[in-house]
Amino acid sequence: MKKKLRDFIFQELVFVAAPEQFSDDDDLLEAGLDSMGIMRLIMHIENEFGITLPDTEIEPENVQSFNALEQWILKHKNG
Amino acid sequence: MTDTNDDIIEILNPADSFTLAMDEEIRKDGLPGSYGCVALELDQTPDIETLKQRIAEFAEQFPVVTASLQQRGRRFYWCKRELAPLLFYHHPCPENQTETDFHQTTIDQIINHKEDRETIAPIEFHLLTGQTQNTFFCRWIHPISDARGADLILKYLCTESPEQRQKFGQPKSKALVFVQLDKYRWWQKITLLLKGKRYIDKVDQLQSIQPFINSDSAAEKLEYTIQRLTVEQTELVTKLARKHVGLTGTSLYYIGCLMRALDKLNPQAEGDAYCTPYAFNLRKQRALSPITGNHVCALFAQAPRDIVQDRQALFAHLKQQNTEVIRQQQDYAFLPLMWAGSWLSLAEYGKTLRLSYGSQKERSSFWFSDIGRLDIPGDGFPGANIDAVFYVCQVTSPPGLAFLSCIYQNQLTLSYNFVRPLATAEEIEILHQTVLAELLDQS
Repeated sequence: MKKKLRDFIFQELVFVAAPEQFSDDDDLLEAGLDSMGIMRLIMHIENEFGITLPDTEIEPENVQSFNALEQWILKHKNG
Repeated sequence: MTDTNDDIIEILNPADSFTLAMDEEIRKDGLPGSYGCVALELDQTPDIETLKQRIAEFAEQFPVVTASLQQRGRRFYWCKRELAPLLFYHHPCPENQTETDFHQTTIDQIINHKEDRETIAPIEFHLLTGQTQNTFFCRWIHPISDARGADLILKYLCTESPEQRQKFGQPKSKALVFVQLDKYRWWQKITLLLKGKRYIDKVDQLQSIQPFINSDSAAEKLEYTIQRLTVEQTELVTKLARKHVGLTGTSLYYIGCLMRALDKLNPQAEGDAYCTPYAFNLRKQRALSPITGNHVCALFAQAPRDIVQDRQALFAHLKQQNTEVIRQQQDYAFLPLMWAGSWLSLAEYGKTLRLSYGSQKERSSFWFSDIGRLDIPGDGFPGANIDAVFYVCQVTSPPGLAFLSCIYQNQLTLSYNFVRPLATAEEIEILHQTVLAELLDQS
């Protein structure tokens, strides 16, 4: 799952010089993921994983790292 | 024009043609053209020689910035010139003029300078110096770059290492509009095109309200007013935006506040809804490439008047509208529309972009651009620190109002660009006070 997220974010939304050095805990918001990017990411996740992420849960703590994103997705995938 | 096309550097991409059509419309309205401008307010006179050297190096690395925009057949191209235009101008404040007055009148002249599209330099850098005020002012004509590209150009000039400067513009790729379009098969492009057309048809069902009562008056000149919020006010606005439109909709908060302020000041204005076009950029955040060209797609935010009058309902409406647009990929639907539009004459394209199909009236209530949080290093400018940043842009008339926002060093800066005589500075001051009350939820 994280590989798919990494591919989408680094190919479409945010440039980082060395993606392989960007850890799953590094801050995506600090790296430049902006509001429009988050919107696109959410739409991508919903299409890719067949889930709906509630608007009320679009908070920095759910999108600020790959680990946080994975936890958020799993919560809705398993629920 | 030459007999051969040996002088062509590059063809305009579909997003460049989109901004070129608006350049033509602005010129037809009697104004200079589609200028975008960014100003850096400096704490002292910078190192002028280093600045000149970096600008020269920039022009060498990106020759298109000294090109001439020319039409060959139906299409437009950036072409080499025999003599490169001057890109850097130094304006020292004369002793017999106050610095505030000097800065105001000089910037006023730069943003209202009229010159043919073929001869004007695609980008110019103006340094205004004085004992207490120093401003670095960059003006570009929109087909050469979008605001994010201009941001990269500033970062280039603020980068000390020559090796790092060489990294700008790398890797070279096609225009991002084409990169996105290439992801679709031909039948998917047609589906997208029809989707885009239906989206605009829906927007056109409501007649747009104009921001000023005398919106049909002949345009004389562009003026602007800059308003900077304090750090505390900016924090509060960010919190309120998060509360009303969530993490993903800060721009929508600014748009909604302006819509409400306009409606409060002119509740009897003719029309059904406020409508504003805004661009979303296809560039990756923090990428150093592409540096020139436009890489944007357009969207509309529209709200009927009765919804605008209810603050909670307005933000919920704008957020819902934006979510639906992205969910249904209506944003990307503009890509094939822009591609198709680039084959139209400028007059036809401009008409299509500006006027509602049914009423043939102006579709935009105002122009909007949120440049967002800038990450230009405050201490990176050669020989001076950057204290503040603001943007200015030309706009068609009507609507005669463009609202630009950016955050630099934790301060939100609002730029009201308005066309005389549609509005006066006094009226814009009242508008700003109303917008501010909305932003701070004190209305």
